[in-house]
Amino acid sequence: MESLADTLWDVVICGTGLQQSLLALALSRSDKKVLHIDPNDFYGGAEAAFSLQEVESWVEKVEAGKEGLFEAASVEKLEGDTGLSFPRAYSLALAPQLIHARSTLLSQLVSSRAYRQVEFLAVGSFSIFKPSPDSSQKPTLVRIPSTREDVFSTTAISAKAKRGLMKFLKFVLDYDSTPQTATWQPHADAPLTEFLLKEFKMDQELQTYIITLTLSLDGKINTRDGLAVIRRHLSSMGMYGPGFAALYPKWGGLSEIAQVSCRAGAVGGAVYMLGTGVKTMNNKEDPIVIELTSGDTIKTRKVVRANESATDHSGINRLVAVVGSSLKSLFESTVEGAPTPAVAIVAFPAGSLSTAAGEASKSPVYLSVHSSDTGECPVNQSVLYFTTGSEHASKDLLQQALDSFLAAVAGDTVPQCLYKLQYKQLQSSAQSQASGSIFDFAPPATALAFDDSTLQSVHDAWKMVLGDEAVEEEYLTFADREGAMDDDEVYD
Amino acid sequence: MADQGGSQHGIARTSRTRTPAQKQADLERIQQYRALEAHLRTAVSSSNYSRETFDLTTKLLRLNPEYYTAWNVRRRTLTFGLFSRRSDGCSCSRGCSSSSRSGTTTMSFGASSCSCSTRTPPGRGCRRTGRSGTTADAPVAQEEEKDEEEEEEEAAQKKDLETVKSELAFTFPLLLESPKCYWIWSYRLWILDQSILLLPVADAKKIWQEELGLTSKMLSKDRRNFHAWGYRRHVVGQLESDELGGESLVESEFGYTDRMIRADLSNFSAWHSRSTLIPRLLDERGAGEKEREDFLKTELNLIREALDVGPEDQSLWYYHQFLVDNIVSPVGRPTIVPTLTVDERVVYLTNEITNIKDLLEDYEDVKLIYEALLEYTLGLCQLEERKPEEDERQDLIDWVKKLKELDPMRMGRWVDLKRDYGLTELLPGGRG
Repeated sequence: MESLADTLWDVVICGTGLQQSLLALALSRSDKKVLHIDPNDFYGGAEAAFSLQEVESWVEKVEAGKEGLFEAASVEKLEGDTGLSFPRAYSLALAPQLIHARSTLLSQLVSSRAYRQVEFLAVGSFSIFKPSPDSSQKPTLVRIPSTREDVFSTTAISAKAKRGLMKFLKFVLDYDSTPQTATWQPHADAPLTEFLLKEFKMDQELQTYIITLTLSLDGKINTRDGLAVIRRHLSSMGMYGPGFAALYPKWGGLSEIAQVSCRAGAVGGAVYMLGTGVKTMNNKEDPIVIELTSGDTIKTRKVVRANESATDHSGINRLVAVVGSSLKSLFESTVEGAPTPAVAIVAFPAGSLSTAAGEASKSPVYLSVHSSDTGECPVNQSVLYFTTGSEHASKDLLQQALDSFLAAVAGDTVPQCLYKLQYKQLQSSAQSQASGSIFDFAPPATALAFDDSTLQSVHDAWKMVLGDEAVEEEYLTFADREGAMDDDEVYD
Repeated sequence: MADQGGSQHGIARTSRTRTPAQKQADLERIQQYRALEAHLRTAVSSSNYSRETFDLTTKLLRLNPEYYTAWNVRRRTLTFGLFSRRSDGCSCSRGCSSSSRSGTTTMSFGASSCSCSTRTPPGRGCRRTGRSGTTADAPVAQEEEKDEEEEEEEAAQKKDLETVKSELAFTFPLLLESPKCYWIWSYRLWILDQSILLLPVADAKKIWQEELGLTSKMLSKDRRNFHAWGYRRHVVGQLESDELGGESLVESEFGYTDRMIRADLSNFSAWHSRSTLIPRLLDERGAGEKEREDFLKTELNLIREALDVGPEDQSLWYYHQFLVDNIVSPVGRPTIVPTLTVDERVVYLTNEITNIKDLLEDYEDVKLIYEALLEYTLGLCQLEERKPEEDERQDLIDWVKKLKELDPMRMGRWVDLKRDYGLTELLPGGRG
């Protein structure tokens, strides 16, 4: 077997984040020599999932400034014997994004056969948090209707409002044909809320429902983007079974897809080295010469990396809380024949929370509640992922959201928060780019639902690596490897 | 969606090209199949309905569940040996000797067909000759024999239960693959019927209840599968029959239609099922006049809320029509509130017309609304035995005009309607 140094690599991929891993998957049936490295000793990069121990080492790294895109990380544990299980019983996700059923990512996982290794769970209801009207009542969670049947069953909206909502839902499903285009295109860059008010006479409440469906982090999404996102949600509904529009990979969200993709890469012959990064790179030569942190010096034709620097200081604040309750009421499927969901989304619209100082929240907070079915925590516990666009009082606001949520779902006792991870993730407006023989992926998006535009970069990187040998029909379209499906068992 | 057979997950299914190696593999498979087939024919022609033959049918049917002869052979292997008794009540053990029914040569293995014609219910088989020796004279010995027989009976029933279960399990994956293959369903129903004939009531009931669960699963995969609804009604009918304990399932079935409607408003079969259950439901509840009226009002509310969100849906209008018929023309069949006076009926119908008119505020171009308004307004006039009033007449004219616009394909119908009811517009000055 050739040693690392003797091999002329076709590509060195740095980092095992989602994009790099999908690239490894895409290259797994080519005869290219792929070396896939990651300075971390875990897979997944910015989309990794951690045991509690791994969380703590990661937090140390972030605080030491070693994780370019993350800052202000901290962990808090409740004192005493709380019922917190052993560290490996948890798999906290850095990228708990939900994937719409219509997403191209899913069809690519199917056509490349990688879907067989991922277990997908249903994402259930979207609800809105309603603060308590007075001190004697609890706050409540109100389900957002997104299908005709939801609208029919809900008791929270008047008949007239229901009709308006139905007209809008029908409009959206067909929004890119005439005559609908004539209605919305003049408002394309205006906020969606304005469009809803002007054209559909929607009141504040209905507007909130619709904006929540877009999962817009600042609530100010424009009409063009908003309609696209809502249509994606509505047309995803029921696609893989009744009652749900999105899926979530078990064991840690996007991290699982990254791992499965790397596994496929390895089966295809790629060499994997964790705990290894690039020490120096001389890309003025051809082939490129790289000195790895392991001490090896290697030669490669192409390099694929991830851009780890943020362009601005904005981003998202996240609070991940482990709670000592199964929160069963959130995970009941309301549609006959629907699978039990493992994820539920709760939105706290702007103004529904106030900080300790008494300021009303100016942007929405989104909560993704994960049951133990996701494999991210033991049975009888749940993991809560709070996200909000970074602003002055974000950390405080997220704590408010946590407290308010626990008050809303409290039965006889308020569920206890056993463990808290908080951090800020910066975002970047940088695009992926190729320069010579080097391809840089843009930093990952901080959206709450997976956006298919990410996949374009993976395709671009694949084209750069294969050059003239790229065959479009074979992109992420593979046959099962031999032995994967054996029809002949029937003949025994 | 479940029926996107040709394009799963957005990828079109293309025909695969076969390599020479794959072609060879296919030829081998064909040979194997033919060999199995030949074996089966040999077995049948020599009337061999043994365990071996049973296993042959298993292999063949997995490859080709449409091969209905194989299903018939399988039935015979069960009745001629693998079931501990035939469903005509006779426990045919190996020792039973009699001439075979069909007159063919004696079976090589397994029991010959028994000529016992009396049908005895499960729990009592016909006496086996030559088994426990001659009938004893002393009563004590007779009792011992009886206990032995009861034990054997129980063991036999247990074995039959296992056979029934394994046969149902056998057909299940075949059904998943070929859900529309009549032969599989027919065999499954036969097994289910055998369970009533062969097993104690409690066991048979459980089997049929699981079957009801299966129909629910089928219907959740394809909610408007007309055949599945029919099958469900059959299963419910059996569960309600005397043979299985005779409990009414009307309330739970009514609840089921409720859940199905909430899952998909556009489910004509669910609405239809609901309508067929109502008369019996009200009877079993012992509903008096007040309860019946409350029930009617609740149903009217329900359908109105449904129409609020889905006025373009024909199934909803059919159900509305069903309710209105109950109010307006109750002659000759069980109705929800048979004791309504004409005045009360008029009030109900007028209410409905008002509510439907309300829909027009938000839904201007839905033709089914106009059709309903036309029909109900004319119906109201009939009920009150009068001609349309002036404002009604104007409404009718407007609605027909709208219908001509929205549904030009049925122009002939609208023209006829206009003529039959004299719905021509009066020109200024009063001339039509």
